[in-house]
Amino acid sequence: MPLSRDVYAELEQVVGPRHISDKPWILAGVRAAQPSSPMKPPSPEAVLLPGSAAEIQQIVRICNRHGIRYIATISSLIGFAYPSGPGTIILQLKRMNQLVEVNAQDRYAVIEPGVRHGQLRTELMKHGLTYPVAAVGPGGSVLANFACSSGDNHCQHGASRTNRYLLGLEWVTPEGELVRVGSLANDAGWFCADGPGPSLRGIIKGFVGQWSGMGVVTRIAIGLDAWRGPPELPTQGRSPSYRMRLDPACHKTFVFKFPTLEQARDAMIAIGEAEIAQAVLKYFNASAALLATESANEFWELWDSGLFQRELARPLYVFLSAWTHEELEYEECVLRDIIAEFGGADVDERIQRIYSDNMDFYILVGALQRVLRLGGGWAPCKLSGDSIGHMFEVGKAIPEFITPFIEQGRILDAPDNWQIIPLEYGHSAHIELLFLYDRNQPDWGKVPMDFMRASMQADIRNGHHGTMPLRTVAASQAIGALFSNAHMWANRVKDAFDPQRVSNPF
Amino acid sequence: MNQLADFRHTMQSCNHCGQCKWVLGPKTRGYDFAEICPIHMQFHFDAYSGQGLLHIAQELLDGELQYDPGLRDLVYSCTACGACDTNCKSIRDMEVLDTILALRAKLVEDGQGPMPQYARMAEAMARTHNIYGRPHAERAAWAGEPAGLSATTSQPAPVAYFAGCATSYQRPDIARNTVRILEAAGIAHTVLGADEHCCGGPLWRTGQIDAAARQVQENLDALQRRGVQTIVTSCAECFGTLRGFYPRVADFPFEVKHISEIVQEALDAGRLRFSKPLQTTLTWHDPCLLGRLSEPYVPWQGEIKAFGRHVPAKAWRRGQQGVYDAPRRVLGAIAGIEVVEMVRNEENALCCGGGGGVREAFPEQAQVTAAERIREATATGADTLVSSCPFCQDTFEDGLARQPGAMRYRDFTQLVVDAL
Repeated sequence: MPLSRDVYAELEQVVGPRHISDKPWILAGVRAAQPSSPMKPPSPEAVLLPGSAAEIQQIVRICNRHGIRYIATISSLIGFAYPSGPGTIILQLKRMNQLVEVNAQDRYAVIEPGVRHGQLRTELMKHGLTYPVAAVGPGGSVLANFACSSGDNHCQHGASRTNRYLLGLEWVTPEGELVRVGSLANDAGWFCADGPGPSLRGIIKGFVGQWSGMGVVTRIAIGLDAWRGPPELPTQGRSPSYRMRLDPACHKTFVFKFPTLEQARDAMIAIGEAEIAQAVLKYFNASAALLATESANEFWELWDSGLFQRELARPLYVFLSAWTHEELEYEECVLRDIIAEFGGADVDERIQRIYSDNMDFYILVGALQRVLRLGGGWAPCKLSGDSIGHMFEVGKAIPEFITPFIEQGRILDAPDNWQIIPLEYGHSAHIELLFLYDRNQPDWGKVPMDFMRASMQADIRNGHHGTMPLRTVAASQAIGALFSNAHMWANRVKDAFDPQRVSNPF
Repeated sequence: MNQLADFRHTMQSCNHCGQCKWVLGPKTRGYDFAEICPIHMQFHFDAYSGQGLLHIAQELLDGELQYDPGLRDLVYSCTACGACDTNCKSIRDMEVLDTILALRAKLVEDGQGPMPQYARMAEAMARTHNIYGRPHAERAAWAGEPAGLSATTSQPAPVAYFAGCATSYQRPDIARNTVRILEAAGIAHTVLGADEHCCGGPLWRTGQIDAAARQVQENLDALQRRGVQTIVTSCAECFGTLRGFYPRVADFPFEVKHISEIVQEALDAGRLRFSKPLQTTLTWHDPCLLGRLSEPYVPWQGEIKAFGRHVPAKAWRRGQQGVYDAPRRVLGAIAGIEVVEMVRNEENALCCGGGGGVREAFPEQAQVTAAERIREATATGADTLVSSCPFCQDTFEDGLARQPGAMRYRDFTQLVVDAL
């Protein structure tokens, strides 16, 4: 439903004429198709730049009054940031960008939606603190990741997933009420997500977030971890050839290979039991090759050599980060014992050198956007979480459905391009399968949906918790039974809080 | 010259990651000074960014977007500083700035651009060969005084000093200082004098390609008549245009050097020495066209095959080889000078705000960016902001006039001459 001039005027009254537009050239900036998809999203009716929670409350109430859908976004990186149907307005929360507080004593930071990973990470380093930074580049919104979605970080072995870090928060409900959640509700500060009685945190977040489908989160506090590195990134070189090595007396990276996935799995579990290492990853191999090169042509030269396929089919990447050299030596001794016990070996020296020289950069800052370099045809798959053992079962089953796609030439021949990140020293884990396809092929647009469907069907056949339930109705219905029919509960909650279904509905 | 349609791959490859708006992760130093796109940090809508301009370009090509004065203003509000381009190319194989410039060229081709100020500039240039419409006969007037600048000759020489419009007409001290430096270094050189035309940069960057190409040809003829092999500039705009635009429209067999590189080489070879200390703490502003946009352009004609493979391989301009070290090393070699760095430096430098014609068409917008850059420079503790671009100088001096006592601006050549 297009906005009437009267409604537009109402919204303009709230944010001011400089912060709203329905000009076609402004809307063109937020309605382009993702390169991974053949489908262009519907154009929003307007884009607004609210400046406060109070303005958002007013906007949301106007939307409820007139039946207008709204989506709150920041960086607009993922597909859920775009309208799923006509009659939608976009609230870009970029102007709400205050780093409200860094509480080094109680180890939390309070932020607004517009604070970006690049900003918060480096600001916290000055205080000797850090947090799980999603590998989405410096422009990703911290709040969006912690409150509304769930991008992962390479160091979650020694940390955890974002839902564990969310503390007090301020929330504009889908109907426009301002609610303070957790300790904040009792004027007790931001330090805790929960107060007496049932917790609202799960309404907003859960294991994954609601992608702006449950109102607008306007401020959050996140818990912080200790940062063992220097107060400033020790960057050398110029784009794109940056190098970043932390003090080698306290920080060291390793890449090992294993004869079988079971041995890699057992080593990963043992490293967690020993409570050593900041990062442990069964990492992608094609993505690793993309990270190690600076152009698509360089990637192809490396990939065609077969080195990464041979050496990194079943790897473990380990990043040790210690306070002292003695601590590092201890961790390395333990690590070497574990690797030997489970049959691991050092990878080819050429690969080890790449990561010894620069793993700190890849691990800590992340340049994962380089996987987009091959032209846009890529998508992540699986994305769910469970125990380490279960995640490896999911990984072992990948050939069941990936092989036909490779044999038909529909995706890049990279069956081992998947990762498992353990969380909290092995209490659970996360899996992600990244597949790349060629936009030059005539039917390229069918590839992502066909592939994800095949992946999901394999999970259903095997009873695997591999595919994260998406917010699309069909996917939720297909996979929901594997997840306690969580989508049905989510729908009931949605009905209760958003009876008009105006907050980013699907 | 590539047309807008040649950049389809870039437009279709953008996945809205936002890297075009933010300082690269390894170079970020905290909450402050983390944004990099001058227009996005002012207007906040995605349309005002490299990402947004790619999407606009695609919709125009596809006939989904119609021309409108507001659209034209948006396209020309971009300073064409190339920060989006360098940052995107840190992780991708895309040509963001070339797409934006091709979009401007399309607006001109379709009769929808440029901004009236730039059209007037082109008219003036056709008559007077300079961007100001000043008499061509006055172009080399800077060389007439003070007496004693013996090298202001039009005789053939392997080295030519290319002064440029802004220096010749507005900042003659820079030209005189440059000649003094060349003389002190013992470098025989020629100046083009009345044969020098505008480098064409302001026309290229506002989409007026045919008019720019005419300036190129005039200058190439003059350079070839004098047997020139190396062109020396003291203006970032000319420097970046000579290296980045000329090879797109003509054979360009010349080496182009910035005066800071000449000084560095002379210092290293012992042909130049600083004798006077200068007590100052300064910070160096990397002009876009001297830094990230100054890499030589290597023409590429080929095909983008499956999964981004470029056949033949392409020489990417990722901003890595800009002139970053020479001015810093030279200034740091002057006794008494301390060089301190802004957060956004080298390939991640923030534009002065006036580039791409923005100072002429949108002066207030330019001043918002300039104020931000001056704030960043002030935060270093420096008392002097130094650069080597008369256009940046204009923008900064406008900004500093609004902040009396904040700091002062000095051109690179002035400090070098003061220290000789």
